[in-house]
Amino acid sequence: MRLSAAVVLPLLVARTLGAQTAVVYGVVTDSGGAPLEHVRVQLTGTPLADLTDPDGRYRIATVSRGTVVLRASRVGFVRVLDTVTVTPGDSVRADFTMRASAVFQDPVIVTAAKRSQFLDQAATSVALVSDSDLARRAVSSVDEAVNKAPGVQFLSGQVNIRGSSGFVEGLGSRVLLLVDGVPANQGDRGGIDWDMVPLADVARVEVVKGAGSALYGSAAFGGVVNLITRDIPVGVHGQVRATGGVYANPPSDAWKFRDHTGGLGGLDVTGSYGAETVRGAMTLGGRHSDGYREQDAADQWETAGRAEWLPEPGTRVTASGAWTSHQYDVFPTWCGPGQCDTRGLTFQPFRIDPSSRGSYTRSSKGYLFATVDRTVSLRSAWLARGSWLRTHFTDVKPSDWSVSNRLGAELRGTFHTAGDRVMIAGAEAARTDVTSDIFGDHTQAELAVYAQGEQPVGRLRLTGGARLDGLAVDGASQAAQASPQLGAVLETPLGTWRASVGRGFRTPTIAERFVTTQAFGFQVIPNPALQPETAWSLELGDVTTVSSWARLDAALFWTETRQLIEPTFLIDSSGVPKIQLQNVSRARLRGLDATLALVPFATLSASLAYQLLDARDLSRDAVLAFRPRHLLTLGADYRWRSFTAGADFRYSSRIERIELEAFFGQDPRVAARVLDLRAGWQRGALGARILVTNALNYIYNLVPRTLESVRTVSVVLTWTY
Amino acid sequence: MKSRVSRALVAATVACNGGLQPIPSSPGISGVVTFRGAVPDSTQAVYVVAYHTFPHSRDSLFTFQPSVQPLQQLPLGGATAEYTIPVESGRYEWVLAVWVKRGFTLANADSTLRETGYYRDPADTSRPGVVTVLSQPTDSIDFVVDFGHMHPPCRYYAPPCP
Repeated sequence: MRLSAAVVLPLLVARTLGAQTAVVYGVVTDSGGAPLEHVRVQLTGTPLADLTDPDGRYRIATVSRGTVVLRASRVGFVRVLDTVTVTPGDSVRADFTMRASAVFQDPVIVTAAKRSQFLDQAATSVALVSDSDLARRAVSSVDEAVNKAPGVQFLSGQVNIRGSSGFVEGLGSRVLLLVDGVPANQGDRGGIDWDMVPLADVARVEVVKGAGSALYGSAAFGGVVNLITRDIPVGVHGQVRATGGVYANPPSDAWKFRDHTGGLGGLDVTGSYGAETVRGAMTLGGRHSDGYREQDAADQWETAGRAEWLPEPGTRVTASGAWTSHQYDVFPTWCGPGQCDTRGLTFQPFRIDPSSRGSYTRSSKGYLFATVDRTVSLRSAWLARGSWLRTHFTDVKPSDWSVSNRLGAELRGTFHTAGDRVMIAGAEAARTDVTSDIFGDHTQAELAVYAQGEQPVGRLRLTGGARLDGLAVDGASQAAQASPQLGAVLETPLGTWRASVGRGFRTPTIAERFVTTQAFGFQVIPNPALQPETAWSLELGDVTTVSSWARLDAALFWTETRQLIEPTFLIDSSGVPKIQLQNVSRARLRGLDATLALVPFATLSASLAYQLLDARDLSRDAVLAFRPRHLLTLGADYRWRSFTAGADFRYSSRIERIELEAFFGQDPRVAARVLDLRAGWQRGALGARILVTNALNYIYNLVPRTLESVRTVSVVLTWTY
Repeated sequence: MKSRVSRALVAATVACNGGLQPIPSSPGISGVVTFRGAVPDSTQAVYVVAYHTFPHSRDSLFTFQPSVQPLQQLPLGGATAEYTIPVESGRYEWVLAVWVKRGFTLANADSTLRETGYYRDPADTSRPGVVTVLSQPTDSIDFVVDFGHMHPPCRYYAPPCP
């Protein structure tokens, strides 16, 4: 029999190709030897993959010659890596044994790269506060939830990520707040309104550590906090959440400041309806707090809504908005001799100078976002978004006010190309208008373009990108900033290593440039010539599953900053001292942060997070103000049937240096040691939780003459439909 | 087991003691000094001290309050500094800032100490102000520290400065 050329030629080609490639195959079993189905076995850095069959077998053909890394992963099991050497034309067997793990999944995050990715594929450190964390901790505000994240600390309401912000009296945050990816820092002061979004609407919080300006621009100087709101489920759903509680009285009678026990309470109602193409949700809430100190009461009303239209598969049109009205008394600083009746003591931490009585703030804030999100194909998607953010505060005694409106727009594309390569590119524009009696009337315009790509190279995933920001402020100079970032993620048997280097910057806020007011008895004068603060951040980290019940995520970080903006005393021509914000400092923040998560039993989980921070003010050769050296958080939760119980303990070492040392340097300062206890019960639609924060009623302050919260016992009742 | 839990709770409680505590106030003088002029390179320290009676001789130069040592230095470098000095209750005729030059000893006090500013009588700012201290700190004793106009101790007692 003679073979025709039409038959022989393809066989010859196939044989030639087969000689260049090989087959990798094997069996995946659990630790008991039973075959595991639905395990995804993939050659890292390539799209080559296979799912195991009911007998646990997999087979990947056309594997190129050389050494390759195989990854076996399945929900509920610890991921396994193996390295094999492939010889052309041969077959290589690689079997896997996987250990069950009830907890250590790889959650999907969206903030570190402006797209969905597994947490361990991010080149920078990311801390997560999940919806179960939010529910378990029974917190009543968003900042309480973020404050529990490893490496994050609040100083009197001002968020610090790896010591980024310190405490600058609310003027300018070195952390960017996002709400569903939209920048939400105040347009005038640049600070963060943590009450912008009702807690009931927050599904999870992602905290990206280190400079993030390569994707997010200004304010992402020390990190990014993204509040991700809840998806709307199909059907009719609702939740009622009622909170009530009491504040402990001062531990010493000499500090007593009222005849009754202070209380707090609140009610939130959420309802939603979802069909296949149209969905909507609405939240209404209100709360009152007597406060734990003199002149500390607060009332808040809030509402939020969201509507979604899904006209076809892959297309989603979303409109969302929120509005919060908050009126709160202002506790200026605690009083000392000569300011109030100190009852023979050197200071009265719960009381104020009577001349400050009647001081309060009305603060309203809200946003409207509209987003079109379309997945065109498996390889490309785009997103277009418009946003309006408004803040309005009125201070009474002293009287001042400010209104800011920020209009923003963003267009972004995401592209997946052959070889598992991913590219995003986009443009953002924003215009901020401020009208104020202390900041003046000003307009700020921002325009930015950015791009970032991810390229697998063997077992390595390389990322690189940059953002170019242009900013113009009336009455001040124009500025342009380029923010590059490079990163790498390497999967090894010793864990997933990550490294990144990136630039961050923060443009001075309108308040910092133009403020005219009084502080500490001195006149504060404007400085329109302020320049942006800049930083370079470097990080090396590793996340490794130590065993089926322990996982360690550790990172070394190093940030060099320049042109930090700080209040500075200067003497005018007539010899009168004044305060002005100036670019003065160079600083270095370096250290280690590590989180160990433990699940020794299915019913018990624990965590230990530690941060060592070496923060130096290089211009003064001194410790950087308001940065504690050690931050330790321990947590544990135990579940028994429908009951849960847990505790958190946080230690923050004594703050070594503060700003305005000349005024407050002689005040007592202590380390913070705060124990929180919690217990919960859930049965069907009903749930009850009790939370005791600062259970030991430890009295401490983190910023000058400002007492942190005392022991607070609160009960949260929920009914979910 | 029960006792172990109890011990753990006690240990946790003890570990968390050490927070802010009520501190009885003691008599003292406090206020804000405003700095003028450049701080000399030869500066060792600047202190605020108080005299019951104005020192008219070299022998009374070291009769100042506070008597508790070491004295607390004024923080230099800023435009102003807040101070509090613990003193006995009573009447003080002279509250001043003293500049101390590097290399100070009791033997060379005339050449290494300088008055750099003092609290002035609000009614007549050419004269020192009298401060009365009761059982609690007396505050708002504010004055100017001028490094451009410092005076040796001998300016204030006989014999006059050579």
